[in-house]
Order: sequence, then structure tokens, then C-alpha cells
Amino acid sequence: MSEVKQERKPEEFTNREYEAGFVTDIETDTLPPGLDEGVIRHISAKKNEPEWLLNWRLEAFRHWQTMTEPHWPNVSYPPIDYQSVSYYSAPKSQADGPKSLDEVDPKLLETYAKLGIPLREQEFLAGVAVDAVFDSVSVATTFKGKLKDVGVIFCPISEAVRDYPELVQQYLGTVVPTGDNFYAALNSAVFTDGSFVYIPKGVRCPMELSTYFRINALNTGQFERTLIIADEGSYVSYLEGCTAPQRDENQLHAAVVELVILDDAQIKYSTVQNWYPGDENGLGGIYNFVTKRADCRGKRAKVSWTQVETGSAITWKYPSCVLRGDDSVGEFYSVALTKMCQQADTGTKMIHIGKNTKSTIVSKGISAGRGQQSYRGLVRIAKSAEGARNFTQCDSLLIGDTCGAHTFPYVEVKNPTATMEHEATTSRIGEDQLFYCQSRGISEEDAVNMIVNGFCKDVFNELPMEFAVEANRLMEVSLEGAVG
Amino acid sequence: MSLTLKSIRETAARAFEAQGLPTTRDEDWKYTDLSRISALLGDQWWQVAENNEGEIADLSVPELDAYTLLFVNGHFDAEASELPDSITITSLARLIQDEPEKAVELIAYQADAPLSSGVVAANSALATDGACICVPNHVKLDKPLYILHVNSGGTTHLRTGISVGKHSEIQVIEHFAGDHDEAGLSNSVTAIRLDENSSCEHYRLQMEAAKQCHLGRVEVSQQRDSSYTLHATELGSMLSRVDVVNRLQEPGARTELNGLFVASGRQHIDHHTRIDHNAPHCVSRENYRSVLDGRSHGVFNGKIVVGKGAIKTDSAQSNANLLLSAHAEIDTKPELEIFNDDVKCAHGVTIGQLDKNQLFYLKTRGISGEEAKQMLTFAFADEILAKMSNQTVRRYIERAAFAKLPNITDLEGMLA
Repeated sequence: MSEVKQERKPEEFTNREYEAGFVTDIETDTLPPGLDEGVIRHISAKKNEPEWLLNWRLEAFRHWQTMTEPHWPNVSYPPIDYQSVSYYSAPKSQADGPKSLDEVDPKLLETYAKLGIPLREQEFLAGVAVDAVFDSVSVATTFKGKLKDVGVIFCPISEAVRDYPELVQQYLGTVVPTGDNFYAALNSAVFTDGSFVYIPKGVRCPMELSTYFRINALNTGQFERTLIIADEGSYVSYLEGCTAPQRDENQLHAAVVELVILDDAQIKYSTVQNWYPGDENGLGGIYNFVTKRADCRGKRAKVSWTQVETGSAITWKYPSCVLRGDDSVGEFYSVALTKMCQQADTGTKMIHIGKNTKSTIVSKGISAGRGQQSYRGLVRIAKSAEGARNFTQCDSLLIGDTCGAHTFPYVEVKNPTATMEHEATTSRIGEDQLFYCQSRGISEEDAVNMIVNGFCKDVFNELPMEFAVEANRLMEVSLEGAVG
Repeated sequence: MSLTLKSIRETAARAFEAQGLPTTRDEDWKYTDLSRISALLGDQWWQVAENNEGEIADLSVPELDAYTLLFVNGHFDAEASELPDSITITSLARLIQDEPEKAVELIAYQADAPLSSGVVAANSALATDGACICVPNHVKLDKPLYILHVNSGGTTHLRTGISVGKHSEIQVIEHFAGDHDEAGLSNSVTAIRLDENSSCEHYRLQMEAAKQCHLGRVEVSQQRDSSYTLHATELGSMLSRVDVVNRLQEPGARTELNGLFVASGRQHIDHHTRIDHNAPHCVSRENYRSVLDGRSHGVFNGKIVVGKGAIKTDSAQSNANLLLSAHAEIDTKPELEIFNDDVKCAHGVTIGQLDKNQLFYLKTRGISGEEAKQMLTFAFADEILAKMSNQTVRRYIERAAFAKLPNITDLEGMLA
């Protein structure tokens, strides 16, 4: 070859600017910053909530006031002033609520188009029902009719409170109690919206349910609350994906996701998270402090968490599985990427309580630039969990000499019939692997992409089709040629 | 250094007063509840016992060809000891008396050291005796150095210092033994410094009496191309907690930690290890196994930290646990903290019962189920002991370890 390719440093590739960065100019009905009981009453009143929910919120709020902010994770950030956050913001055009896409604010549709996920196209082509959350209020819901035919309820949680109060009251806060942790308590007090899904007995949800979260108004914390109930013998695959406009102020996002799985039911919950990660100096970016928990209450229940985390300045979440029912199964597949100054402390908890419960954990961490990444996991096998089985694999890939990768796996076993295996490796992309690819005429950048994709393949395979494509693209964009 | 022995003792005493015993609210002590110590020994648990005159049985490793240092209830017994000429050995008590300035460095209390706690502070404040071993450059000790600590209950604080000079080699056997029904506490800190190209094989045999509590700490600091091997076996004591802190300070240092817990009854055994890779091209290997029977509780926490400049680090850690009874319990946490991309680190944990396929295989060969179980248990544990180069110690530990497990009937047959 006569052409000599200039050697490129990994930094060149990893410094790519955030692609989905823009702010849509839309009038918002926003509360002034601050938090007290008045704010909570205001939120509750705005949403026409019943008395019990207001009391539930207030109880959570009072509990939250007695709690102290936890600081044990392996991340650092300036202290958060909870009084300077605005706890409610809704697009104005929501007032009378759009009935169909035609009624949706065209600016919103434009926003989605910029992100490459036009609602119409999705409705038409992909057959995915989208409950798009624009800031705190759902503004467009599709395929309602089709879902209604089979009895599936898929709606914003505020609507569910109105239309199916007995279901919400029965399950809300039973997986993640209001006082579970600091952020869950805060969320319980001030959550503004989120999704509610109920799959009736024996129903296999005919399509993948999907919610695109957007954080849009300046300075609003997002407190989503998602509640999914899979009744006996049902199945649902739920997709959650996020992007956000670029801005300089840190934003707190403390969502709570609760999954309830009864006998023989199955929930597959997939997340692609690509919120604004901050600029290359670590300025701005989203704080993503999320509590996600699945409760396998029934026998042979199954839950599967799949997450691709590439965004946010700080990611701090542990999607967990409580395997209460005998023979229930919990799975956790995760790819997390930290670059620039991103920090991630993520992992899972598998609590084995029922007999012959099984869990699988596959966690892949990629750390580049000045990114710091931690895997923190707990596998607890209770005395009652006869014959429990766990397999854990957490691998880290390091790119560059200023990044870090850390693993903190907790293993607690109280039953001798349990079998558990844990393995972890940490390494960088092998020079020999790169050399081999390059000797076959593959550019360095493509070679890195191939290797990273291979590294993440176990997890991407678990994603639903639509997301797998998106995830692959996301990795490529985020990591373009991240090797020297 | 302007520090004097007195000021160090005072600082440590203050730190101890402020911290007291760690509680299960401390992350490093989450699974080990030390309140048993004060329950057993009272509020003044740290107070050193008077030198009891009781008869002390000979608990030494039989037929061991070694230089011996005997400590009885935390006091050096010069008459019963046999010391080599080629190296300098003084008891700490003697050193404090004759040359207190030399004892300063050994006793110094570092509040910010990893896994530091009130227990270490108490040791700094109260340690009165121990062995101070100084191996000069270019010395290869012809026989192992055998440090036997026997006690008859009560509290002892021991501090041992081992410094190995350039190109020197030593084998040290620390043996904690007791055979009594008294409650007691051994609080031992061993500091080892390995100079360039030196090597140390360190046996740490914990075989305390049933009501004795054991709190230990091994601190190792390694210079260029030095090599350190630890064989830690935990057999005795009702509650044992050992912290191993290893710092690889210069390139080419190599460390290997091997540990075996064999616990039964209500024993609680906890090892926290931490290896700091502070320099490039260092190698660390860690291999811990536990066999837990009865209502025993095992805890393992292995942390490997690879610092910013420590490129080409090669580190592997494995922890395997065998639970023999329905009430045994294990908590394990293998941690990695890596601040650098040019490293090779791996760790693995397994917990389980004996492999059914292996049991089946042995049965197809005409071996009874019970016997097959014994063979597999033995093989599981012996993999750690097989790494010992001193065969006398190995055989001794094998006998002691498997005598604890009720199922082993034909031990001698298996050893043969």
C-alpha cells in the first residue's frame, strides 16, 4: 500500500458531539422551583388525583424528609439542591388532550422526526405502539384500539389512576415501597407521569410496547413512574428509549419502575438510554438515578432486563429481580458505555427466595476517555431458595489510559444446594486482534467497531429487533474508532 | 522522624478510643459482627491478660526442621527458642526497652491505610511483644523460621516485623495455637517489607482454641522483582478475621495469596484481602477456598486495585466455596478497581456442592457414595495446600483440617 494512514488517537473518535442535541421551543406550564407539601398538592390537583393517592404522596414526602441522601456509589457530583428543581412541567397544548396524531403539536412531531423516530412512520411501518412522553405528560398514544381488543391496558399512569383506580391502588408501591430509598421516596412524592401496563390472564401482548422519554423543558427534574403488571400466563415486551436536548444545567432524573409478574407470566423490559452526557469537560448532562425492580410473585414467572446505557453524565441504577415464586427466572443483560467524563455505577440485584429459581447476569462495560464505570451487583440466595442457580459474567473493556473500570460483586449464599458462578475480566482491545483485522484490509475504526460489537453481542442479541439496530448504531456513533 | 514511641502510642490510643470496635454498619465489616468480642470478654476486652502461669501444652508442628521463636501468651520465651546466627532477631519488648527509636516505624499507626480500623489502632497502642526479624542482603536462610504463638486465653496484642534485604530468601511459618476452654482474643499485626529481588514464603496457620477470637492483619510492601507467597489456613477460633494488605510498589514484583478455610460448628471466618498494584509489570495471583460445615459462616472479600501508571498488570483471583451443610453460609465479594487500560485482570467465584457428575463417575468405578464425597472434598481443599513447598507443614495441616470434617474416615489412606 502506498497510502500511509495517519495514526489516529482514540480521543479523536470518542470526542464526538452529541447528535440529538437541540431544544424544542414549546410553551410549558411549569411550577416555580421548590418542593413542599403545597407543590405536591398542586401536582395532585393538576392531575385530578383521588384522595388516596395524594395521601400516599404526602406520606412518601414526609418519609423522604427524614432520609439522607446516599453517597455510597462510586460516582462524584456537586451536591444537588432539591429546592432549586421545578417539579412539574407539562406542554401547554395538553390541556384538552390530543385524540389522534393530527391533533399533536406539529413541533413535537418535528422533534421526533429529528431523532429519526417519526411517530407516523413507526405506527405505519414498525407496528409498535408508542406512548411518547414529552416531558411529564404523555401526548400521543397509538394503537390503543388494537390493544384494547385483547384487553391490554397501556396508558399514562395518570390516566390509569382515573380509569383503573383499583388496579393501580392494588399494585402501586408494592414492589418499590415509598420509603425504599431516598430517590424512590422523592419519586413517590412528586412523580408526574409515566406508563401503566396491565396484561390480562393468558394474553400475549400482540405488539411490543414502547415509550420514548424526552426531557425537554429547561430545569425540570423528571420523575417517571412506570408500573407493569403481567397477570397469570401473559407475556409482554416493553421498550423504553430516551434522548434529550443539549444544555448546560445538570438535570436530575429519578424514575421508578415497578414490574409485577404473576404465575407463568413473562416481562421483557428493554432500555436504550442516550440522554445528554455532558460536554467533554463534564459540564452538564443528566443525572440518572433510577430504581427499577421486578417482583416475580408467581411460580415460573420470568423477567428479563436488557439495557444499553450510553448517555447521562451519571448513571446510577440497579434493575433488580426478586425471585419469590418457585422456578422463577431473572435475567439481566447490560451494556454500559462511559466516555468523556461520564460516570456509571450500575448492575443488578438478584434475590433468590423461591425454590429452583434461576438468574443470569451478563454485564458488559466499556470505558473510554475519562469515563469511570462500576459494576455493582448482589446475588443473594436465601435459605429457602433450594436448588437456586446463578450465573454472572461481567466484562469490562478499557479504552485509553485515563478511564477506569471497577467491579463490586456481592455474593451472599445461605443455602448449600445453590450453585453460583461469577466471573469477570477486564482488558483492553487486543493489539493482535486489531492487527489481524487491519491485515485483512479493515480500517482501524471498523475493526474497533467489530470488536466492540462482538463484545456486546451477548446483550444486543437480547434486544428486540427495532432496538438492536438502534443500539448498534448508537455504539458505533458513540465509539467511532475508539482505539489507538 | 520526629515521632517518638510515646507519641505514636498516644495517637493510636486516641484513634482507638474514637473508633472503638468496628460494627456491621461499616462496609468492610458488614458480615462480621465483633460485638461477640465484648460480649465474651467484657467492655475491657482490649486489656492485656496477666501472664498466666498455667501449663501450656506443646502445640508445635511435629518433626518440623526449623528455627523456632516461641511466644507464650504474647511474651517471648527466649529459653525455648532457637535462633539462627545469620539474621538479626529481637523481640519487640526488648527493642522497646533498648532502642525505642527503632520500634517507632514498626508500631506506627496509619489511620488512612486500607482496611484500617479501631482494632489496628488498639494493636498500635497496646502491642508489647512480637518478633522483629531483619534479614540482611544476600542471605538465604537454610531452614524455615517458625514463630509459634501459644496462648491460654485472655487478650494479647502482637506486632511482628519482617524485613528481608536485597536478594535474600526466607520461609516464615506463623502458627497461632491454643488448646484451652478460656475466652480470649489474639490481635496480631505482621508487617513484611521485601527489598529488591528478595523472596518470602509466609505460612499463616490459625489454629486457635475454640473460644478464642482472632484478629489478624498482614501488611506487605514489595520492592522491585520481589516475590511474596502467603499460605493462610484458617482452622481454629470461633471468630477469625484477617486483613491482608499487599502493596506492589516497584516493577516486577510478584505476589501470590493462597487461603483455605475449613470451618465447622458455629465458626465465623473472614478474610479481607487487598492488593495494590502501584507499579507496572507486577503480577498477582489469589486463590481462596473454603469448606464450610455445620453452622459456620465464611466471608471473603478480595480487592485488587490497579493504579494509574500500573501498566501490564497481570492479576487473577479465584474464590471457590464448598458448603457441606444446610446451615453453612458464605458471603463473598471479589472486587476490581482499575484505573488503566493496559491490564489483564480476571476474577471468579463459585459456590456450590460437590459436583454430581464427579460423584457419579466415582460411583461407577465401584467407590461408595460416602467415600466418593470424602475424596472430592479432600481434593477440593488439597488443591490449595498442594501449593505449599514445605511438606511437613502441608501434611500437618491436612491432618488437622480433615480431622475437623466428620466424614473423612480414611485420611491416612488418602494422604498416602
